[in-house]
Amino acid sequence: MSARLPEVLRFRGPALRPFLTLAVFAIAFALLPRYASGEVGTANVANVFTAFAGIGLVALALGLTMIIGEYDLSVSSTYLLGGMLAVKTGGDSPVLGAAIAVAAGLLVGFLQGFVIAKLRMSSIPVTLGTFIALLGLVYVLSNSKSINYSDLKVTLKLNEPVLTIFSERSLIALAIFLVLAAVFTFTWLGRDVRAIGSDRKAARTSGVRVDRIVIGTFMASAAISCFSGALLAYSLAYATPNRTVAPLVFATTAALLGGVSLSGGRGNPLGIGCGVLCLAILNEALAVTAAEPYVTYLVTGGLLLVVTIVDAPHLLRWWRTTKAAENLRLGFAGGPPAEARAGGAR
Amino acid sequence: MSAHAATAPTGPGPVRTRSSRETAIRATYYGAIALFAALIIYGAVSTHGFLTMTNVRAVLSSVAFVGMVAVGTALIMISGNLFSLAVGATAAAAAMIFLALLPHGIVLAFAVTLLMGVVVGAIQGFLVGGIGANTIIVTIGAAGLIQGVALWASHGATVLPPKGDTSFAWLNGHIFTFAVPIYILFGTVVVLDQFLRRSRFGRQLKLVGENVEAARAAGIRTAWVVIGAFCIASFLFAFAGLELGAFNESGSLLIEGTQTYDAIAAAVVGGIAITGGRGSVWQALGGAILIAMISDILLLRGYSEGIQILVKGVVVFAVVVLARLNRMRAES
Repeated sequence: MSARLPEVLRFRGPALRPFLTLAVFAIAFALLPRYASGEVGTANVANVFTAFAGIGLVALALGLTMIIGEYDLSVSSTYLLGGMLAVKTGGDSPVLGAAIAVAAGLLVGFLQGFVIAKLRMSSIPVTLGTFIALLGLVYVLSNSKSINYSDLKVTLKLNEPVLTIFSERSLIALAIFLVLAAVFTFTWLGRDVRAIGSDRKAARTSGVRVDRIVIGTFMASAAISCFSGALLAYSLAYATPNRTVAPLVFATTAALLGGVSLSGGRGNPLGIGCGVLCLAILNEALAVTAAEPYVTYLVTGGLLLVVTIVDAPHLLRWWRTTKAAENLRLGFAGGPPAEARAGGAR
Repeated sequence: MSAHAATAPTGPGPVRTRSSRETAIRATYYGAIALFAALIIYGAVSTHGFLTMTNVRAVLSSVAFVGMVAVGTALIMISGNLFSLAVGATAAAAAMIFLALLPHGIVLAFAVTLLMGVVVGAIQGFLVGGIGANTIIVTIGAAGLIQGVALWASHGATVLPPKGDTSFAWLNGHIFTFAVPIYILFGTVVVLDQFLRRSRFGRQLKLVGENVEAARAAGIRTAWVVIGAFCIASFLFAFAGLELGAFNESGSLLIEGTQTYDAIAAAVVGGIAITGGRGSVWQALGGAILIAMISDILLLRGYSEGIQILVKGVVVFAVVVLARLNRMRAES
């Protein structure tokens, strides 16, 4: 393990990046009224935390799988599934509904994690199958319609303001983030999870129980995502089937902004939380300036592409005009002529 | 991610073992596909109204659209870059552009629509092949951008063709009882298959998909190959969208329906390796026919759209896991 220690230390610098990004977003938001129409007050801060509660946990769920070097496409379906199950079964007891949602998530996560860990499969094809299947299941459960939640008292209670800027639902989401952050910081789990993400073979050799942690991560991911859906459905008083990949776009951007890398081995729940807050602030800024829907599409899609490009493994290599750029060059900027190389390939 | 490394054949074993291994994989795999086909045939025979000419025509009409996007998805998959989640968005934007430009003449409408496909494909291909960005995320982001631009340009309204314009009616016509897009699809598959078999690009595509580092070491300009694959794929997505717009005589973002999932499901069910390097466009066509048949059987039996999506998801999951199991068995 000692051989890996310097590498872990090296990540300390970039670990601060999500907080700096968040600071930039927050300051820009505070300065917004100076440069655009619209006002910014405590109500907007409350809205930011409401958005955080609405979808932040999905980013956490996806981010956890990204830290171990995988990518759980199915979060956008488990998110919908959790809401649908909670609304359909939680009529008498919201806790029961949420528990059923979480149990369904654990089951789905176990299935995915088991297949990925034991068959050594890449997570994207596996979670693609569950993503589509669960989306269908949501449509079946809801009969392709929005389903209303009957217990309005629960809805009101979850949305009730606490300390002006929070609400019960945003506090629940924040608490889950903090608990996971504590687990990551103070137990061996965080270190092992990152070790799996940066080099799975090395982690296995040094005694990390890789399969268990991979399965556990996928269970946690699906369960958190289902719970997040349940929380949102309770607070909106309805659940609706929806085919967009918008939750996936949001969650991926938030995780990447929060210092998680698609290549794995980097990031922690606190960073992901910062990433979510950044996006929540951005969405609130778009709302304050009354931007049209297409602006939201352009900004979220564009931001995702930008963070993906920054995260791309070969960006630096390409930038330094080494191999990848050589591949792109037409053969006139130095190196052997294109024909010679292409001929060698035959 | 770690999957490929863990299963790479060990050592430079004799060539004969490897090829017999591959035969074993292929035999088991096609056995499973045959079983699956048997199930479908049972469903087809036992479903009332499936084996009628009207229904066969309807199935083939949907194959014409699904097949086009499946063939495009197959190219991306063979190049080792999984699949695109921008299929539906590209197709929807293409439908809107095509219908909006019809007043300027059908030739211009065709040209600009397909050019749009190639350009968005080239950008995504560069991000994936050139700087190694993740395909899934690049294509989701691209889908968001395409939808944003389409919403902005159309002001959120549905695009309708100019009143009384019949210049595109031939796209909805029939030749020998079958719809024109089916002939376009078969033509595309034949041409593309020959191109991939005979051209240098086709061979490079498979090598890049099989092992990108080896391809790079062999001097192949891998970025260009991936860009090429994305350009052709995106061209086909746009073409499918154009046909869809002409068929529906209206274009909006909602036109995409389940195109994206159908395309991926068809390519996977057709037996194209999701890990890259193996597969042909004929397989994508076969997968598209299977997926269209499954949809049609479920529809005729009165199942909802949800069940149809669910079944496709389960099929994708099962096929992906089965393919992996067979590979593992053959390699052990």
